[in-house]
Amino acid sequence: MLSRFAGGIDTGGREELDSLTLWPALALLLIGLVMVYSSSIATAEASRFTGNQPSYFLIRHSVFLAVGLVTGVMAFQIPLRLWQQAAPWLFLAGVVLLILVLVPFIGRSVNGAQRWIGLGPINLQPSELMKVFAVLYAADYTARKLDDMASFRKGFVPMAIVMVLVGGLLLREPDFGAFVVVVAIAVGILFLGGINARLFGGLMIVMAIAFVILIWSSPYRRERIFGFMDPWQDAYGKGYQLSHALIAFGRGEWFGVGLGASVEKLFYLPEAHTDFLLAVIAEELGFVGVALVVGLFALLVHRCFAIGRQALVLDRVYAGLVAQGVGIWLGVQGFINMGVNMGLLPTKGLTLPLMSFGGSGIMANCLALGILLRVDWENRQLMRGQQV
Amino acid sequence: MRPVKFSRSPLLSQRLPAWRQRLLLGLLLGGFLVLLGRSVYLQGINNEFLGDKGRARYERVIEISATRGRIVDRHGDVLAVSTPVKSVWAIPEDVKLSPAQSRDLSKMLDLDVRDLNRKLAADRDFVFVKRQIPPELATQVAGLKLAGIHLQNEYRRYYPAGDVMAHMLGFTGIEDKGQEGIELAFNDQLTGRAGSRRVIKDRRGNIVEDVESIHGPQEGKDIVLALDSKVQYLAYASLKKAITEHKAKAGGMVVLDARNGEILALVNLPTYNPNNRNRLAGAQLRNRALTDTFEPGSTMKPFTAALALDKGKVRFDTPIQTSPGKLTIGSATISDAHAHGLLTVAQVIQKSSNIGAAKLALSMTPAEMWEMFDHIGFGSPIKLGFPGEVGGRLRPAKYWKPIEQATMSYGHGISVTLMQMARAYQVFARDGDIVPLSLTRLDNPPPAGEQIFSAQTAREVRAMLEMAVQPGGTAPKAQIPGYRVAGKTGTAHKLEGGAYANKYVSSFVGFAPVSDPRLIVAVMIDEPSAGKHYGGEVAAPVFAEVMAGALRTLGVGSDAPLKPLQMANVELVKEGM
Repeated sequence: MLSRFAGGIDTGGREELDSLTLWPALALLLIGLVMVYSSSIATAEASRFTGNQPSYFLIRHSVFLAVGLVTGVMAFQIPLRLWQQAAPWLFLAGVVLLILVLVPFIGRSVNGAQRWIGLGPINLQPSELMKVFAVLYAADYTARKLDDMASFRKGFVPMAIVMVLVGGLLLREPDFGAFVVVVAIAVGILFLGGINARLFGGLMIVMAIAFVILIWSSPYRRERIFGFMDPWQDAYGKGYQLSHALIAFGRGEWFGVGLGASVEKLFYLPEAHTDFLLAVIAEELGFVGVALVVGLFALLVHRCFAIGRQALVLDRVYAGLVAQGVGIWLGVQGFINMGVNMGLLPTKGLTLPLMSFGGSGIMANCLALGILLRVDWENRQLMRGQQV
Repeated sequence: MRPVKFSRSPLLSQRLPAWRQRLLLGLLLGGFLVLLGRSVYLQGINNEFLGDKGRARYERVIEISATRGRIVDRHGDVLAVSTPVKSVWAIPEDVKLSPAQSRDLSKMLDLDVRDLNRKLAADRDFVFVKRQIPPELATQVAGLKLAGIHLQNEYRRYYPAGDVMAHMLGFTGIEDKGQEGIELAFNDQLTGRAGSRRVIKDRRGNIVEDVESIHGPQEGKDIVLALDSKVQYLAYASLKKAITEHKAKAGGMVVLDARNGEILALVNLPTYNPNNRNRLAGAQLRNRALTDTFEPGSTMKPFTAALALDKGKVRFDTPIQTSPGKLTIGSATISDAHAHGLLTVAQVIQKSSNIGAAKLALSMTPAEMWEMFDHIGFGSPIKLGFPGEVGGRLRPAKYWKPIEQATMSYGHGISVTLMQMARAYQVFARDGDIVPLSLTRLDNPPPAGEQIFSAQTAREVRAMLEMAVQPGGTAPKAQIPGYRVAGKTGTAHKLEGGAYANKYVSSFVGFAPVSDPRLIVAVMIDEPSAGKHYGGEVAAPVFAEVMAGALRTLGVGSDAPLKPLQMANVELVKEGM
């Protein structure tokens, strides 16, 4: 199997890997590397924490990418059948990690959020891994209970209980961003799995009404939720980060101020190399850069759904839901992060998948891409009448 | 052919509805389209607004300081110049020094570690750590690369002549503004106009980009003084020597150009080093020649004589009885050092007789005398622009008692500054008029002077003053070889707490060459306490030394044969006090 992969993407005119998935993903990873370096160079040089090394984040992100690519290649070797068998156990392991991270002395806290488990020189962020595990588990759950999907009690309630548990753990850290993504993955996969449409629709409407009532009943809450819409009102306080992100977009104009020439990254914009990487891309590369990133994400999400659809057509429900679950994940998290950068959504603390600095995030992304390419590879094998 | 739906095909009966996948994908792709739209809005439409906000955050207009003008003497020798230095400042919030770094920095800047830490703990956005350090030291500080510690360019004033010119030049404060002397009087001309340019700064205050220059700096103008460095050095050295020799408390000297009122030298002692003003005491700072008044004593007599001549009360040879050396006016008695007997007006000046001067004064009305004093500038400040200039004491004539009128004739009961006295002697050095004093070099003829006495009177008094420095006068030690000299000594008891104490102010004011006066030199020595205190013994030799040197330096032609001077064997006539 490895020899086939090593033999190249294209062997004898028969594509082994989906190049429309692979190249956009690699492109995002590499643009991410360049922009992480560009956005962190000044802060890294000025910080004692990094030992005043300008390439501190570049070196680490490069290592993360290398580890991530190895992880992806390894994930590619494992058949979906085995992934499905392992899914409940992986999910359970993820839950254990989420509990561990809350234990004092094991979990490490940064800026008031206890999200990391220290493992010597590296920090593991369980919530990032939980996103992949949620995809694998929700797909497994849905595939197993396909016949019960119309039932509220048998189809929806068990998953809802699991989500309340995991969601509760994530909110304890707190990691509201991961909570939103994990819930979106679970609900999305249930929806694709055919959960009762009327039930689902009713649920959505009830949630929407409750949300609106909550907001309108309290001006304070309204302020909290919609405060992001006018960051200029308190531009040096609550709106500080967002106002600087927006300034970065404005300064970038169509073609950007040029790679490396961002002013916002010079200590003005906090988290420039993580959550607000897109703002630096927008400033340095302009609308062209933003459009490229958005386009690559759109292409990638589209391929996830196409690969998933193909698997479903081949009656491989689990594989199909995993592929589309990866699409939901990348799509939702990418949309939220970019929306936050552009002031469309309240700040959540989510990274830009495949691009932002962060070892656990990159590893989880690469793992998911490896599985996605595996689904596609198995699809091709089956269509040629071969076994997987 | 109509497409066959998967759900209708029994072979491909898909268990999951495809519309849900399309809907979800559609929503996600729709979301990305919204992002693109938002990006277009932010980067293509609203970018002006956002750009303005950005400029407000990190564009700053910074000042490019203009260099302060130099001060040069009449020959162009530099007396004050601004040299670039650096100041160390900090944003306390950004500074996080390890104890070792604090120690290094404090040692480098010669600060106490505790002082340094207190400064850096201040709850402010900006503190100066140390101002005006040499550029080489600044390079070392920059080499430490400490976060939150910054350097800024400044100028420091340097005075090459040090304490010799201190009172003349004054000095600037830390903000490069004139605080004393010429630096203050000519601050407006010396100060240029700062330029400005627009830059982008990062959040830590470092300039990362130069946007544009708004306007260039306008450098300050140089000031060319009337002062002659050589004469100034000469005056400084001679006065210092005399003060040491006579164990005096203080002293002052002024050298004027009699032709146009230029101030060629101004010395006060004690003085200070303007380049290092640590431990500066008030006494050192005093610009005595302008700010301290003293009762001049006999140097006043020539004005009394001139007024009496001018009013036609007497002629230069009118005899005046000064015997028996005492004169009682009301309840007070005035006296001479020696009983002189019958003296002509000229001899009154030559021998410096108090009684003679008093009798001349009493032949005039108080109003006439007051008017004369006022015209020659006593009682009101000269207004050269120096801080603390005073006018001296001159009471209105209607309050004068006869005894006051009598003592004022020989310089008591009236007080003046040394500069006022030097300025007033123009009436004798010139032909009876006074021109305004000038601190700067005059390249055009001076404005017309104010005529005080007739030219005839001036010439007559000039002759009397020449007699005063010759054998038989009070100050033969004021003579110099090769030049005819005229002048008058002054010796006055000091007033302390309203009573005359046994302390003296010795002075001498004179000019030379008598045939065509060029220089006026006034010397004042405060509290000589090494035994001698008469102006003729203490102040006159200083005058002679400076006058001789200055005349030679300026290349003034001699008007007397070079013959040995008669001073050593001549008993000097003690003046009345």
